Amino acid sequence: MHSSEFDGAAAFAGGGFMPSQETQDPDSSFYSSKNRDAQALLPLTVKQISDAFQSSDDKSNVIIDGVDVNNVTLVGRVCNKAERITDVAFVLDDGTGRIECNKWLQEAVDSIEVEGISDGMYVRLHGHLKGFQGKMTVNVFSLRPLNDFNEIASHFLECICVHLYNTMLQFSGQHNNGQKTLEDMVLEILHLPTNRTRDEGVPRELIARQLGIPLDKLMLAIKNLIEEGAIFEAIGDHYKSIIG
Amino acid sequence: MDMSNPAAFVNGELLPNYIGKRVRAVVQVLQSDGAVTIGKSTDDRQLTVRGLPQVPPMNYVEVTGIAENNQLINAEIWTDFGKKFDINSNNMLCRLANGEFKSLFL
Repeated sequence: MHSSEFDGAAAFAGGGFMPSQETQDPDSSFYSSKNRDAQALLPLTVKQISDAFQSSDDKSNVIIDGVDVNNVTLVGRVCNKAERITDVAFVLDDGTGRIECNKWLQEAVDSIEVEGISDGMYVRLHGHLKGFQGKMTVNVFSLRPLNDFNEIASHFLECICVHLYNTMLQFSGQHNNGQKTLEDMVLEILHLPTNRTRDEGVPRELIARQLGIPLDKLMLAIKNLIEEGAIFEAIGDHYKSIIG
Repeated sequence: MDMSNPAAFVNGELLPNYIGKRVRAVVQVLQSDGAVTIGKSTDDRQLTVRGLPQVPPMNYVEVTGIAENNQLINAEIWTDFGKKFDINSNNMLCRLANGEFKSLFL
């Protein structure tokens, strides 16, 4: 029997007018298919963002040191803050450059967070880097004033450390042609959780035994890794990775 | 993005490389009369800063401004970092930001 009742749910489901389940939460399905490494939070300087943006053909997506840039953390001074009803816009000056930032005020807590920030204040922000109409902006998730000014130096040192780590990953990747080098295998041993916790480093005899290679062959690889700056001798004949 | 006016991280040793340019340095205030401030850089060299308001002695102040000569900065912006500050990490950052990793900063 034909029903003359108007079925609202059927009329709107997938009709293109109402948000369906897929469109309500596009991010979860989008991100779940992505590698976790590709979503890493990167500490960056504005100069790094600018350089990557200039050299990128695709102005909506930038790659820094071989890593897709999505979420970033920056430290700098707030300038030109302009508060509106729905959002607040400002420029972040980290001393290496200036970048436009925007924060949407969706809840009362967002407005309270933003009210405490004024021009000239040092802040740490977390946000999503977005290229739009040939411009890079940061869509800010969180914004807080610095209480400890040592965080400025620590942020920039972290930028250097992460840059070094990501460029070294690329460097070692170029050399192995799909096959692991002895240097990679030594690094893998040093990066084992049990070895990372050894402040004194791992004795060379133990590394040689685990790899099943003679000591003189191991020492060649260790010499290369030390020259690359990937490992160091913690105490006599004990070695430790710089990232462990 | 505006990359036209960066401020280089400097200590006392690196300041002479940026005469006429914009720099940022942390100084510990030794003497301040409201016009000229005499302070110590994070690598323990004496620096003079013009244009700072009166700052309590021994406080660390970050100054951003133009390097006028080997020892003098004309302050444009300043931030009082208080009495507790790790000069060693700042000094190390100045060296790294002007050395091997300069491309990340300037």
